[in-house]
Amino acid sequence: MPDPISLQVFHNLFSSVAEEMGVALGRSAFSVNIKERQDYSCALFDPQARMVAQAAHIPVHLGSMPASVEAALERLALSPGDVVALNDPYMGGTHLPDITLVAPVFAATEGGTTLVGFVANRGHHADIGGMTPGSLPLSTELLQEGLIIPPIKLARRGRLNAEVVDLLCRNSRTPNDRRGDIAAQLAACRVGERRLQDIVARYGWEETREHMDGLLDYSERLTRAAIRGMPDGEFSFTDHLEGDGFTDDPLPIRATVRVNGDEMEVDFTGTASQTDGCVNAPFAISLSAVLYVVRCIAGEQVPANQGVMRPVAVSAPVGSLVNPTPPHAVAGGNVETSQRIVDALMGALAQAMPGLIPAASQGTMNNILVGGRHPSGEGFAYYETIAGGMGARPDKDGLSGVHTHMTNTLNTPIEALELQFPMRVRRYALRRGSGGQGAFRGGDGIVREMEFLAPATVTLLTERRENAPYGLQGGAPGAPGENILYRNGVEEERLPSKVTFRAEPGDVLVLLTPGGGGWGAA
Amino acid sequence: MPYIRGDMSKAILGVDIGGTFTDFALISQGEVRVFKTSSTPDDPARAVITGLQELDAPPDADISHGSTVATNALLERKGARTALLVTEGFEDMLEIGRQNRPALYDFGVERPPQLVPPELRIGVRERLDSQGSAVIPLTAGDAGRIAQQVRESGAEAVAVSLLFSFRNPEHERLLMEALSRLENGAYLSVSSDLLPEYREYERTSTVVVNAYVGPPMARYLQRLADALGPRLRIMHSGGGSLSAARASQEPVRTLLSGPAGGVVGAFLVAAQAGFPQAITFDMGGTSTDVSLCPGQVQETTSTQIGGYPTRMPTIDIHTVGAGGGSIARVDPGGALLVGPQSAGADPGPACYGRGEQVTVTDANLVLGRMDVGRFLDGRMTLDTDRSRFYLEKLASDLGQDVVTTAEGVLRVANATMERALRAISLERGFDPRRFTLLPFGGAGPMHACHLAEGLGMKRVLVPPHPGVLSALGAALADVVKDYSRTLLLQESQVDADVLRDAFRPMEQQAREDLAREGFNRSQLQLQRFLDLRYVGQSYELTVPCPPLGARVSQAAARRFHRAHRQRYGHSDPSQPTEVVAARLKAIGPVEKPDIAPAAEGAQDPTPAVVDERPVVFNGRPVPTRCYDRSLLTPGNAFAGPALVLQMDSTTVIPPGWSARVDGYRNLILELSHA
Repeated sequence: MPDPISLQVFHNLFSSVAEEMGVALGRSAFSVNIKERQDYSCALFDPQARMVAQAAHIPVHLGSMPASVEAALERLALSPGDVVALNDPYMGGTHLPDITLVAPVFAATEGGTTLVGFVANRGHHADIGGMTPGSLPLSTELLQEGLIIPPIKLARRGRLNAEVVDLLCRNSRTPNDRRGDIAAQLAACRVGERRLQDIVARYGWEETREHMDGLLDYSERLTRAAIRGMPDGEFSFTDHLEGDGFTDDPLPIRATVRVNGDEMEVDFTGTASQTDGCVNAPFAISLSAVLYVVRCIAGEQVPANQGVMRPVAVSAPVGSLVNPTPPHAVAGGNVETSQRIVDALMGALAQAMPGLIPAASQGTMNNILVGGRHPSGEGFAYYETIAGGMGARPDKDGLSGVHTHMTNTLNTPIEALELQFPMRVRRYALRRGSGGQGAFRGGDGIVREMEFLAPATVTLLTERRENAPYGLQGGAPGAPGENILYRNGVEEERLPSKVTFRAEPGDVLVLLTPGGGGWGAA
Repeated sequence: MPYIRGDMSKAILGVDIGGTFTDFALISQGEVRVFKTSSTPDDPARAVITGLQELDAPPDADISHGSTVATNALLERKGARTALLVTEGFEDMLEIGRQNRPALYDFGVERPPQLVPPELRIGVRERLDSQGSAVIPLTAGDAGRIAQQVRESGAEAVAVSLLFSFRNPEHERLLMEALSRLENGAYLSVSSDLLPEYREYERTSTVVVNAYVGPPMARYLQRLADALGPRLRIMHSGGGSLSAARASQEPVRTLLSGPAGGVVGAFLVAAQAGFPQAITFDMGGTSTDVSLCPGQVQETTSTQIGGYPTRMPTIDIHTVGAGGGSIARVDPGGALLVGPQSAGADPGPACYGRGEQVTVTDANLVLGRMDVGRFLDGRMTLDTDRSRFYLEKLASDLGQDVVTTAEGVLRVANATMERALRAISLERGFDPRRFTLLPFGGAGPMHACHLAEGLGMKRVLVPPHPGVLSALGAALADVVKDYSRTLLLQESQVDADVLRDAFRPMEQQAREDLAREGFNRSQLQLQRFLDLRYVGQSYELTVPCPPLGARVSQAAARRFHRAHRQRYGHSDPSQPTEVVAARLKAIGPVEKPDIAPAAEGAQDPTPAVVDERPVVFNGRPVPTRCYDRSLLTPGNAFAGPALVLQMDSTTVIPPGWSARVDGYRNLILELSHA
């Protein structure tokens, strides 16, 4: 068993593999979404496809990446130099815009050439085809959401299959961005591969593997210690999505958390059945949400690897909103449902640990997708998520205008946005007073006004427009969000939380994002 | 003691004002002298004046100094009451930032406090489009009313940053004129002057930080100038120096003044010794700064200080939270952690007599790697028994013996520092094995050899006075000014005329500015650079601008593709590029001493041996000779294990390493076994 000293040494080494991949990907990607908003993640896996290290990127990506590596392994026999691409939510993916690359890493060891692990990275591509620009449509089946890529070899023994890249680009409204982003993802795989090989060359395979195991055990111990600190018992909470874009019927998500000593069971029984709309969350996403919450409780310093999940059992009824089956639509599961799963889990845990758990944050990513053509005829696809209020904490106010829980993407600078897309942002400010009152106040949401300068197709995928983010321990809920369109800048039209519409030049879209819930009676 | 010899017409004094000591390096009449005195934080000028007297510096000596006044004002939140004028609708731009949170899995996450309170965020009714045309015009009358509002707010400093002002500065100019007409006007910081570049958040943050630290910096420099006269220069973050007047206007340029001086000094020492491919390694009490110098000091324009982004030319320095004061502890999962918490100066490491937690310094001490007797010339005593007592506690928590634990603390601290060295070399496409490691700061030379081994580096160079490199760097730094202009033009739109038009006003400005600093046209060096990127990409790389001939844009594109491949491992010459910005660097060269190395004499270092004692390496005590650095002479050579002792530092030379003293009295350490 590795000693407590070398454990930290290897923790640093493995983490820097994931970080260096992230630097390579972020700096050389092409699209605004990956480069400016940093909507990507990188991780390192052992030969059994267990995640050993991840860079601090997007929570919803990271918890669901192990499924990608498993799917690649299940479908394909991998050789040195191969790179697998996939986005199929029912085979290792989450939603179609997230394209994941997985590469096996082989290294020279005492016993010849050996598989020493995998590197994987995932980027959110701003358009991968489908019904509406941005590929997060109000769909009723997966096929409408864009090009589906089951695990396939993008590169074979070091040779890129350029025809696959052509096929992929031909299916996007913004082919040049896709080509550049895929190249950046491939480059990141190569960086990760080289760095892991360096480690094996320096320390030997035996020692490297021992420390991969050791780090998983170590994270497991830390997580068990954290769970042991929670009271035993069963705690349930139900929160709702406010419809799937076709019906406004609330869709319940029920989380039951059972704590027993240093183990925890999470059960989603009681959650709505899968729906016709696009808010179904593949099981990998539900796992991600649980992993996120467990990591928050165990603490940021716990090495981010699969050992964290060992003391945690997660079950979700097959065919439910949080464990759907093909061909159900999933575009919004990753970005909206994942947030509500967290809200349900936190509501349950607040009963176990009232002095530790914050009130509900905005609970949505406020996805906005705009597509159309520049006057030159070239297509554009703009994707943004808008921050909101953070729930108040048991000892302080929530932050305002910030991304919470399952996402942490950056905004597009206004000056970059307006240089690249035919839109003008008229207001981007805090929505004062929208945070819930309480002993500690919820953070404020955001007001964002955008004027369209060219005809465009716009999709909004938002939540918490009616069902307000809850307060805790007597704190008031945060203000729900609002979506308003001013035709020609004047005629007010209230929009639902999920909608696709055609915008004309002069139309102004106003989004008010939700405030966070308050904590404690005021 | 002189260690660099040479001839210069004018004396220059480099000064580095630290929290505890103020360091001096005087270059005068062909020699360099160094000196250290206690700092006088209530009035930093007093220590400077004391040093001037001690060193008997010529009265006309130029003084160049690294200043932490702006840095401290920012980090300790002691800046001016600052107002921000922004385009209406964007008043909360800095609070929203980039919408992200600094920690992902932490319910208690915080952002750095806002420098401008909500009531001082003033929206200006105006708007330019992305081409710089006014969608909502601003009139002189509007500007006057805004200025009045600022006056009534009682703000001491005003930052102005309007959307797309880098395209058209007219609206900002109107506001600036109205504000300067006010009596007892506030300190002004305007984006189209300070940083005419796109990306509003980072630009506005830079302009606000500048305004926030402006008044305290201006006051400090005024006091210093009163005492020292006009010969004062300030080190800036990019490794050059500024006149005190310019530093008063643009203090944001000096935020990394001290560390920049260190890198400049360290690189100079390395280059002079014949090793210009160097990585500098400055290990302090709470953090460690590393910087890669592939034949020259490297710059970046994107940094964060205390969580506040600033986009100013800055030496590319990477900082990690591991230093001599980093605290070691065992976590609930049974692993040994070191840092980022630090014992700082108070209570300090256990061996200082008050701390009750083991630090990196305590581990070094217990392993015998520090010089108890002469630590800081005996100004401080070290309590080895106390270190051992707390290490024993830590060891029993870990289930290990004391020696293994102490070496473990160092290994874990080294792993963190190694990660920083990997980040600045491998992540940027450089192989560290081709570089020489140049440690400085008090603790750097203790860790350098082990760190070098971990990265496969085969050479370490320890300068004669590792503690005063920042002062030396300040003395030798050129006067450097940077200018930039956003272009955002496709490759096909760029030709020699376009670039000439972009560079001409910057060059004219540079000549005027440097004339004011006493440089004439013939002395001046102007270097042109272009920022390029692939069309559609949103981050650019800076490359030297090719000669402004017929095919200048193609030549620039070729340079960009090459730089892209070096940095990211791939490039695509078939993709079109665009030119984002033109940059000008104006250099007023400071005369460097013409340095000749001393002749190397006898190899035998025996006269410098002052002690032999057991020092732990690889788990067991090994008899180790201790040398007095001041008694070592050029040509001396010896093998590890050895310690080299001096007032402000100890160099640890592990078994397997050899040492020699070169003609500049540098210690050159080389790994002799594979």
